[in-house]
Amino acid sequence: MLSFLYARQSGLDDPVRLRRAESTRRVLSLELNHNRDVDRIHGNGINTLDIEVIDGRYMLSGGSDGVIVIYDLENNSKKPQYTCKAICTVGRSSRHVHKFSVETVQWYPHDTGMFVSSSFDKTMKVWDTETLKPAEEFQFDGNVYCHHMSPVARKHSLVAALLYSVLAVGTKDPKVQLCDLKSGSRIHILQGHRGEILSVRWSPRYDHILATASTDSRVHIWDVRRASGSLFTLDQHNGDKSKTSSEAVNTAHNGRVNGLCFTADGLHLLTTGTDDRMRLWNSATGENTLVNYGKVVNESRKGLKFTVSRGCSPEFVFVPCGSSVAVYGLHSGELITMLRGHYNNVDCCEFHPDYQELYSGGKDCNILAWVPVLRQPDIEDEETNSKRGGTHAAINPAFEDAWSSDED
Amino acid sequence: MRKQLNKEVAVFKSRMNRKRALIADTFCLTKRRRCAADSVTGESQADIRSSLQYLVTLFSRKLFNDSLPPVVLKHQLYSLHNDKTSVDKQVVRSDCNKCSTWDSVQSHFIIITLMHSEALVFSFPRQNELRETGELLMFQLGFDSEAFALVFAEDYRAKVLQGEAGRGTLGTVEKFLTKLIPSCSDLSFNKEKMLKEFLFTDSEITQLVKSGVLTVRDAGSWWLSIPNSGKFIKYFIKGRKAVLGMVKKSKYGEILQTELEGRRTTSQVKFQMKYHIHDIIGAELVECIQTTSGTLLRYVDGNVN
Repeated sequence: MLSFLYARQSGLDDPVRLRRAESTRRVLSLELNHNRDVDRIHGNGINTLDIEVIDGRYMLSGGSDGVIVIYDLENNSKKPQYTCKAICTVGRSSRHVHKFSVETVQWYPHDTGMFVSSSFDKTMKVWDTETLKPAEEFQFDGNVYCHHMSPVARKHSLVAALLYSVLAVGTKDPKVQLCDLKSGSRIHILQGHRGEILSVRWSPRYDHILATASTDSRVHIWDVRRASGSLFTLDQHNGDKSKTSSEAVNTAHNGRVNGLCFTADGLHLLTTGTDDRMRLWNSATGENTLVNYGKVVNESRKGLKFTVSRGCSPEFVFVPCGSSVAVYGLHSGELITMLRGHYNNVDCCEFHPDYQELYSGGKDCNILAWVPVLRQPDIEDEETNSKRGGTHAAINPAFEDAWSSDED
Repeated sequence: MRKQLNKEVAVFKSRMNRKRALIADTFCLTKRRRCAADSVTGESQADIRSSLQYLVTLFSRKLFNDSLPPVVLKHQLYSLHNDKTSVDKQVVRSDCNKCSTWDSVQSHFIIITLMHSEALVFSFPRQNELRETGELLMFQLGFDSEAFALVFAEDYRAKVLQGEAGRGTLGTVEKFLTKLIPSCSDLSFNKEKMLKEFLFTDSEITQLVKSGVLTVRDAGSWWLSIPNSGKFIKYFIKGRKAVLGMVKKSKYGEILQTELEGRRTTSQVKFQMKYHIHDIIGAELVECIQTTSGTLLRYVDGNVN
């Protein structure tokens, strides 16, 4: 660490190197901290979490009971013991609350005055954060599994919502609906999937590239400026048709694909499927990079929300696996650690890039905060501190040893 | 550092060691720059080959009256090597020009420090995949879309010709093998390929299917297969189920690996215990936990097998 500081000071190394090394060290030491807590508001499982991009201060959560809660993550009290308070909720008593489970929530990428939520009650609502009333409501004919707004878009403000709609004649026609927030209308529909679409993501690199994942084992990459179909589908065998049986040709997974995540630079795309595999793809060519993560247990019937770290080298993937969160190295594929702490299945996790913290929520109605462990002081420092009656990292008075004697 | 070690429990220690190794890697970059002489590619390839040879010794030849070449499953290699991605890259052909991950870059370059401490960096295109050089053949076994069998090419050729000796189809099979082994690393073939590239006629294709070298996959396409491998698959699946049952029935559903190796095998288990153990570890049907008394295998719930 000192060598890094010296190298930065003397100009040998780029300043970002120190930042990256320290971020990586912090992510590798993520742990449940008994000082950090998040208010427990939800009465039913938590389906989705989102931390706003501008300040990283407010977090949204959506639950299976249709309730949406906003938390303040910043610690303004001078004590290390801190509970992230819920500032406001759209509870069951509100007139505009969703009737069924909220599947996805997302802050408006450019400021926190607005957020969008979509739910199984076939609506997608655009909320005004001040008044907590929906400014806009989009009605659909089918369940909305997921929606996403592009984080980089300046020219357009499209929200892609995924539907599974049943037409009048009873044919199931899964489609991706693009809705425009500025005009409040639906722009166009992307068709091409043959099964329910469980996840959608805009690319963080280009504002016209969209990826969708569905139960027909396929992942399509779309360019929304084009009138024709998808750009390409992801093929797990990279076109080598000889490896699979003929039905499985051109599929991304051997089961339902239920999770999608772009890396922070948008160059790679991660997908998870119910065949217990996670795959890393080159997002420009659609090529499978064949990184082998091993068995990534995935039994989720709905979409799985996982996340990738930002600002570290090597990058890490945080995937909910059963009742714990698995941390994998992005390009090496090795399992770094399993974060255990939830009592029931974990459904979603979100990474806070400024503090390298991870928030995860699941069916046990808890949101857990995984905080990097501070560097432990050396024993010499500890002794000198205690001699002086030093003040480092608050020891809870209940845990202080005031009864054992030194004579034993 | 030493003081922190004293405070930690053994199981926790193993986890922290892995993380600390990664942290050390991130921070000790200068060390990595200087001691770069170990070429990553050369070492790991030799490792894979030696692991394959070790696994081949675990295969019981007598069981099949010496008619099958020794078959190793690709995921058995995962139980011997930690890095699955590098095992895959050694065994499975991947197009090195397209891969852009840093990991592939690392295995591309060999840094050689010269006498005057200059460093020359050579870029090698990946020529050392065992399958591309024609040493190893891979087969889709059929009971699991992810289970691939690996056979050394000379063994395969010898056994197939031995099985075909005296039959009328010998000539066609020999022609197929000479075309297949040096260059091709496909798992299946379709009709155009057989007719145009390999210049086989329809009747010759029928002969190949009859001899067991090709199995029907679909109308007009065939899997590459090992003749007489049906018995192997049957015994393998039965044995795997029996060994998993042994782990599951143990107290708490877990058993030390050394204890499992010492257990008497039932009549269901025809292969050596170690062969099956490598299989269930590599296929992640059991969880491997390092303890102070050795490796513990714990049954993972939710297995189909």
